[in-house]
Amino acid sequence: MVTDHRSTRMQPQFPNAYVLNIMADDHPGIVSAVSSTVTDLGGNIDTASQTVVGGYFTLLMVVSLPEPVTPSDLAARVASGGPEADPFQVVARPYRGEAERAADEPVERFVITAFGKDKPGIIARFSGYLAGKDINITDLFWSRSDDHFTMISQLEVPGRLDLALLQADLEELAGEEGFTVKLQHENVFVATNQLRLTRTPTPAQPHHATH
Amino acid sequence: MLRTDEILSTIQMLHAEHLDVRTVTLALNVDDCSATSMDQVGRKLRAKIVRCAGRLVSACDRIGRKYGIPVINKRLAISPVSHLLAGHGRATAMTVARTLDEAAAECGVDLVGGFSALVHKGITPADEIVMTSLPEVLAGTERVCASINVASHRAGINMDAIARMGEVLLEIADATAEARGFGCAKLVTFANIPEDNPFMAGAYVGDGEAEATVNIGVSGPGVVASALRRRIELEGQNLTLGDLAEEIKITCFRVTRVGELIGREVAEELGVAFGIVDLSLAPTPEVGDSVGEILRTLGLARIGAPGSTAAVAMLTDAVKKGGAFASSSVGGLSGAFIPVSEDAALAKAVADGHLSLEKLEAMTSVCSVGLDMIAVPGDTPAATLAAIIADEVAIGVVNNKTTAVRVIPVPGGKAGETVEFGGLFGSAVVMDVRGAGASDAFVKFGGRIPAPIQSLRN
Repeated sequence: MVTDHRSTRMQPQFPNAYVLNIMADDHPGIVSAVSSTVTDLGGNIDTASQTVVGGYFTLLMVVSLPEPVTPSDLAARVASGGPEADPFQVVARPYRGEAERAADEPVERFVITAFGKDKPGIIARFSGYLAGKDINITDLFWSRSDDHFTMISQLEVPGRLDLALLQADLEELAGEEGFTVKLQHENVFVATNQLRLTRTPTPAQPHHATH
Repeated sequence: MLRTDEILSTIQMLHAEHLDVRTVTLALNVDDCSATSMDQVGRKLRAKIVRCAGRLVSACDRIGRKYGIPVINKRLAISPVSHLLAGHGRATAMTVARTLDEAAAECGVDLVGGFSALVHKGITPADEIVMTSLPEVLAGTERVCASINVASHRAGINMDAIARMGEVLLEIADATAEARGFGCAKLVTFANIPEDNPFMAGAYVGDGEAEATVNIGVSGPGVVASALRRRIELEGQNLTLGDLAEEIKITCFRVTRVGELIGREVAEELGVAFGIVDLSLAPTPEVGDSVGEILRTLGLARIGAPGSTAAVAMLTDAVKKGGAFASSSVGGLSGAFIPVSEDAALAKAVADGHLSLEKLEAMTSVCSVGLDMIAVPGDTPAATLAAIIADEVAIGVVNNKTTAVRVIPVPGGKAGETVEFGGLFGSAVVMDVRGAGASDAFVKFGGRIPAPIQSLRN
């Protein structure tokens, strides 16, 4: 479950900011251990998103510290907060701010859903097609049960692309593989699930805009 | 950002429960097409319709595809043709009807409503032309739909008009005898006709309406029936009727939001105002897409059994509550339709002898739109047909709501016989009319039943 953690442009509290990715077997106390370590360093958690997939916990966050440390030291410090028998896996790197998309090109948000018999390479095919069209994947969900997959992905589609052609391409791609696929504007999901108003389709929203 | 479970639940509604938009109806005022010559009326009418509605179907298809929601019917409603026919004769009525038929075909629209007259207090010469030309018009055109308003809660019930409609129905049935009286399926006789109804055959554009608007009919009852079944499967015996009403409300909220989303975008693309969303659950003969199915899901083993009226009342109220929260532009009929031939479960209930005309009438007192798509024997006297209309419109007039009658006297048809109308109109078993021939003297009095008292409401 992903919440919109990018709705406003984030400014770290302290000058030395790092991206941390923590992975562990899911169990109570991980967030507590990680956040205590950051607090002990005098630092601040500036943004974070946690998810659990298949019993594994991952936490991706940006933390900032008053004093600089090397990313590897920071990673080691955070990892040490986990149980000795099964330490957290931590990756850290310096935070360089949010990347700008080319000229803040107008995009519309779409949802792609696909269902069918699972086999290796499906996400690669879909994502390869989307990447070729400069379509950004903002969220991806995949699950497999009884040999069948469900894929749900939220996309930012550049306004210049012809929707009917995209849908036709995707349906052809899915047809070759024997899947069902749908590409639908996100407003239909907003309308049916949320109390907020659907945004008017034009003008297109700039990248990272609030909504 | 959307959550995965939200996306999945919408996908479920779309693919497993066939969420759709039932109709996008372009409502168009054509009063400016009046002219002194018959040919000129036809030319102006055709030009205006094609200019305004030419892009309706492509806009609906494109926007439906963008959202993955099919728009099932694209239709056209016009201001009452009685306005255009003032000062003209029956020949012009036929010209107007043929023009409507051809212009609708050219736009790819399957039905056009508005061959209408409002006669709840009195009949003008133009109204008279509309009524007398109905047999020829409904037999001679494919897409034209007609409606006559014979009563209102302010004017009372025009029994002269109703008596005339009894005769007109038999004339239409006779003129379309080869199609088992199918012409009558394209005519609705109303009390308190809504001015913004997008559903056929009763769609027309009322006097208070804008030049052009897009009105929407939301998805059908199949979505509601599926949502109820799923909830019952999950929670079974722990549910109360209050919980089920809540489920109906939530489902109707969702379908209404989809309808408005698509309607507003179609309106924007056509450059006209968005009008209303009609919340009515409109069944189709497709199995499962049925108000009767909802009643069965609510625990009525036989539709028409005691409890049916209460169930319809609960359904209609929940539909309105969900829809009214979803949209500030709710209008039209906004209830639950129980058109017998168009609803497979209702048609079967009639065939099995569970649902009588009288019980249907009782059910219409708590829903919209009235006695709809009911086949009766072809030898039902005109005065009895008029009395059926009078009974139904009395419910509307006294309760300050819209009611209507779309009844088909099937030429040569006997009670119990199955009649096939085809397509969206489905098939119906001819219903027994008890007491046929016993209302003549009442109808013959004519005149107007006065408007009902607005106080002492018990």
